[in-house]
Amino acid sequence: MAQAIGETPHNTFTCQLCGLSSPYTYYGQKPPNTRAIVLLEECFVTRDPFSPDRDKFLVLGSTCSLCNTCVCVGSDCSLFYTKRFCMQCVNKHLDQFPSQIQTELAKKNPSPRPAVS
Amino acid sequence: MDAERRRESRSWDWDSPQCRAQLDEIFFRQHDYIQAGSSEHKEFWAFFERFQRFKTKRDMSVSKGGSSKEDRDGKDRRKTGHVDLGLPKEYDARYRINVSVCTRDVEERVGKTEHRSKHRSSGPGSQEISDFRLTLLHFLDFNQRQSFGKLAKLRREQKNLPIFHYRDRIVELVRSHPVVVVAGDTGCGKSTQVPQYLLSAGFNNVACTQPRRIACISLAKRVSFESLNQYGSKVGYQIRFETTRTTATKLLFLTEGLLLRQIQQDKTLAQYEVVIVDEVHERHLHCDFLLGVLRSLLSDRPDLRLILMSATINIKLFSDYFNSAPVLQVPGRLFPIQVIYQPIPPEEQPSRSEKLDPRPYLRILQGIDQRYPPEERGDLLLFLSGVAEISSIQEACQVYATHTRRWIVLPLHSTLSLAQQDKVFDIAPPGVRKCIISTNIAETSVTIDGVRFVVDSGKVKEMSFDPKAKMQRLQEFWISRASSEQRKGRAGRTGPGVCYRLYAESDYDAFAPYPVPEIHRVALDSLILQMKSMSLGDPLSFVFIDPPPAASIQTAVTYLKEQGALDNHCELTSIGSLLAQLPVDVVIGKMLVLGSLFNLVEPVLTVAAALSVQSPFLRSSQQNPDCATARQPLHSNQGDPFSLLNTFNAWVEVKGERGGGSRKWCRRRGLEEQRLYEMVNLRRQFKDLLRSHELLESEDCTSSSGDRGQRRERITERRKLHQMKRDHEQQEGTKRKVLKLEEGQDGEFSSGSDTEEAGRRKKSKESSGQDVDIQEVKFKLRHNVTELQEAVGVSQDLSSRQQALLKLLLCRGLYPQLALPDEHNSTRKDSDQVFHTKNKHGVVVHPTSVFASDPEVLQVPEDNASEMGSDKKDSSKHQLLAFVTLLETNKPYLSNCVRVPALQALLLVANSVDSNADCTRLVIDGWLEVELREAEEALKVLSSALTLRAEWERMLQAKLGQNKMEDSAVSGVTRKMVEKLSDGLVRFLLYTEITYSLRRLAALQVQNLYIGPRSESELCHMKALDLNPLFPGAEAKPDPIKGGLRVTSFFTYNCLADSKDLYSECLRTFWSCPNCDLYMPLTPLERMQHEATCRPAGEQQQLEEEAEKGKTGSVSSLTRVYHCDVCNEDLKLTSTEILKHKRQHMYSAK
Repeated sequence: MAQAIGETPHNTFTCQLCGLSSPYTYYGQKPPNTRAIVLLEECFVTRDPFSPDRDKFLVLGSTCSLCNTCVCVGSDCSLFYTKRFCMQCVNKHLDQFPSQIQTELAKKNPSPRPAVS
Repeated sequence: MDAERRRESRSWDWDSPQCRAQLDEIFFRQHDYIQAGSSEHKEFWAFFERFQRFKTKRDMSVSKGGSSKEDRDGKDRRKTGHVDLGLPKEYDARYRINVSVCTRDVEERVGKTEHRSKHRSSGPGSQEISDFRLTLLHFLDFNQRQSFGKLAKLRREQKNLPIFHYRDRIVELVRSHPVVVVAGDTGCGKSTQVPQYLLSAGFNNVACTQPRRIACISLAKRVSFESLNQYGSKVGYQIRFETTRTTATKLLFLTEGLLLRQIQQDKTLAQYEVVIVDEVHERHLHCDFLLGVLRSLLSDRPDLRLILMSATINIKLFSDYFNSAPVLQVPGRLFPIQVIYQPIPPEEQPSRSEKLDPRPYLRILQGIDQRYPPEERGDLLLFLSGVAEISSIQEACQVYATHTRRWIVLPLHSTLSLAQQDKVFDIAPPGVRKCIISTNIAETSVTIDGVRFVVDSGKVKEMSFDPKAKMQRLQEFWISRASSEQRKGRAGRTGPGVCYRLYAESDYDAFAPYPVPEIHRVALDSLILQMKSMSLGDPLSFVFIDPPPAASIQTAVTYLKEQGALDNHCELTSIGSLLAQLPVDVVIGKMLVLGSLFNLVEPVLTVAAALSVQSPFLRSSQQNPDCATARQPLHSNQGDPFSLLNTFNAWVEVKGERGGGSRKWCRRRGLEEQRLYEMVNLRRQFKDLLRSHELLESEDCTSSSGDRGQRRERITERRKLHQMKRDHEQQEGTKRKVLKLEEGQDGEFSSGSDTEEAGRRKKSKESSGQDVDIQEVKFKLRHNVTELQEAVGVSQDLSSRQQALLKLLLCRGLYPQLALPDEHNSTRKDSDQVFHTKNKHGVVVHPTSVFASDPEVLQVPEDNASEMGSDKKDSSKHQLLAFVTLLETNKPYLSNCVRVPALQALLLVANSVDSNADCTRLVIDGWLEVELREAEEALKVLSSALTLRAEWERMLQAKLGQNKMEDSAVSGVTRKMVEKLSDGLVRFLLYTEITYSLRRLAALQVQNLYIGPRSESELCHMKALDLNPLFPGAEAKPDPIKGGLRVTSFFTYNCLADSKDLYSECLRTFWSCPNCDLYMPLTPLERMQHEATCRPAGEQQQLEEEAEKGKTGSVSSLTRVYHCDVCNEDLKLTSTEILKHKRQHMYSAK
């Protein structure tokens, strides 16, 4: 068993909001073999499993710039707007986000304060 | 603003290939993340166009209300509390992208370009560059979202599977127990998830067996996708001819049979850490056996982990078999299904001979139409027992469907072409339902989504084996409760459903709980052979999960002994151990071994392969006159194996000339090309196996290599083919087409249309550019057509001599599967020709056989009019049929027959030949009686047969390496020897002109066939008379049961009850040997003995020389030590010399 673990020392990324978890191969802003591409935040990155090209990467998630929660890039869990924000922080500071984002979020979860009560 | 600027910019055209190429130069260089020319690069430009269109549209709408937005942004910022997120004031979608493209070098280039642009006014300006870069960022972001979306969906689906909650429990159980049973019903996700749980828990080298090859492929595909290793080889599959396994493979899906073969090579299965046996409840022969083998293997491998996965059927059986292994039961995920019992009323109950009454089935279709609006989708799946039943119900349903235009009727069974089978997965147009009429193939093997209604006839046709008649039987039975539930479950896979059972609830209660496991139903020959080769000891004491009847094992053992695979002590013979490694029936394996001896390997390989796969001749095309005409040149009246051989050869030729055109060629002849692909693969496997056992010389690699240019060409072609295969695999499964309403109408019973239909489908696919003939691609990757053509060319125009020899090989392979034409066949209609096998009387040739359409070739010509009674016809042209299968459906049918000259073939292959004193009456295998008119001729023919057989046997044994130990140098079979033997055999087969009668013995005659053992005194007399071995190394002894003298293992002289034994001594007649100067009065036996050893002078010498080269005591040596009782001396003499020697004493004594 020890040997089994030793062979692939993969680290697992887990989203603290939705629980999505997947092994990652790189953490940082400059994934390998990406040439001119730079990430604007420190990310958990893996090889894109859906591309036949070995050098394609996939960003799984990063940490919220406000609360440091580890979140996936899924639109239910986080939002990137110059920085990464987890959904909890977005909701907390919703008023600071541009209207485009506010409408978009309201459209997506029409739940908290329905218009007709 | 952007748009305006762009209009201003100097002669920059986004659509111009030159302009695009300039940007490619900057952003998509050889080492960049996206390279010019890659598929992603193409996608980018497509995205670019979409994005530009989108931007233009948005720019127009934003310019109308742009000012108000900025106002609000300002307001928002004022309202903000204590934490300032520091977000930019103006919204830009760009801010939502977490990627940037480092552009310093690009900018430098741009500077240069702009510098240059003063002279030449082309090249992107900074605005173009930044537009472009922005699009690139959006493209990268879009791709990230897409891939992440897939990943998230995948994880969501995994989480929603019922088995997900048991994940940790399963891993924990596997860690703590050597054997674990996971029981879960359809849809719980066990097959895809359990292997993944183990991998992520750190287990390596996991094998997961499946009963079906197709499941291995689809599971490997699914699991590699789910475990994010779609493009790697961490998850692979291995089936008979295909594998994706590499050294990196950690999880392998493979068939049960293949794992068994691996155990044969690797006794402790050291290559695996975990073995998962899936679908154990299906109780296939291989699976039951595999469980037994694994069970005994566990004691040698305490670290091995074994997981049995099963439906929730009979779980206790499995748990108990493995020392009360822990069971984890997982609920399935089925929607509720309403069960309606609708027993068929007695007046609609089919009587035995009649067709099924379609009324109960039509009522259900009508009922569905009345009760459920057509907008509510959901197809119907109807289970019937067999193909005949399907076509009669299909016919009736089609009439209803044509009338209502609400149904598309599709049959589903294994003898349909694959294209037709595939139709059941296509989608019905809106307002129309599919009505799939299927055998039990849709119960487990084929899963069709979207089924809402199931109609269950409650019947199944199952193969059983009748050991007494050595015959397979396909009979109709009631299904078991387990099958019934399984069929019902097919209605609830994608939503709530309804199951109509055409039997009463009381019937259901009376059903057996489970189906009869295969091991109780089939012939166990191959199983026993495999057990022997795995040294599993006495098959009778092997601990099966559910032991087969002892009689069944005994039958198999006897059969294997008859076939020469086991010796008298039930140990594997050398031919037996080879047969055990061939993944085919014993008879077909035998052909291969026999073929390797003669110069007939190529045709034998083809025939053996052809007889091991389903027939490529589609039944549905047989009635089509065009197909029949096109097929005609392929038919051979020598027998079905020859038709198959012709077909394969012609196909390979077409492949060589026209490549992909072979598909059309097959379609025109009503051939299923898939079977031919299977044949060519199997053929290759056989060839490799023969080579690895040194039964076939390895080919020179030089012959195919060609010059460097050709080699390079071939490499380039291979690369292209590999790419095509990959591309195909990627788009596979994404092309379900919508059925047309007329689809079912031209079903298989309207002649000819199904080939046209296939043509239409193909054409529409081809025009869409999607349809690569993947089989052709795989074929080219696997085989060298030129080489294959060469190989096949050998067997293309067989001379009549080669044909005769090939027939003999097939016959010896197929023996004892022989049938005798009934003596009254000439007076019967073509369709009523009757045959007899040893154990089953009154069988007929299957309508697909060439002998069903051309029975005259089997008839004995009339010109040899008989002198004796009417039922004893004398002729030199009697023939027998050697056949591959005897299967009883509504009648007992012989399939895949080949005709052989009767007496010649029997004398050369039969296990038991008994004669009377002058050898004019022979009884073969205790059921066929041959009466020869001329004693002189009889003796001659028998004698040459004995000689030929001895030589054949000797060479075969030498080839199989049995004599390696004794004299490795000499025992090798030289080409000359083979030629001589085949020459002798051919001459014997073709030119033996001898008149005889042939008939089947009546039961009473069989009872009083032999004289039986003699008394002591008689034995003494016989001993004194003659106990010379006919061949060196073999002793002629009185036969303890039959009486008479057992001359060789198969020939017993003078044991027939009617024989003129009292006079046998007086039968001595003067005879002169043509080879030596012997002239003496000899008995028939003595004469045969002399003939067996006395060779023409030249040959004799040669043989002796050879013998001298080898060590003494070798089999090829003719001399042996003979102890003469009279002289009381050990003499080293040849058999002839012994004979002379003894004769000397005899005369002197008188």
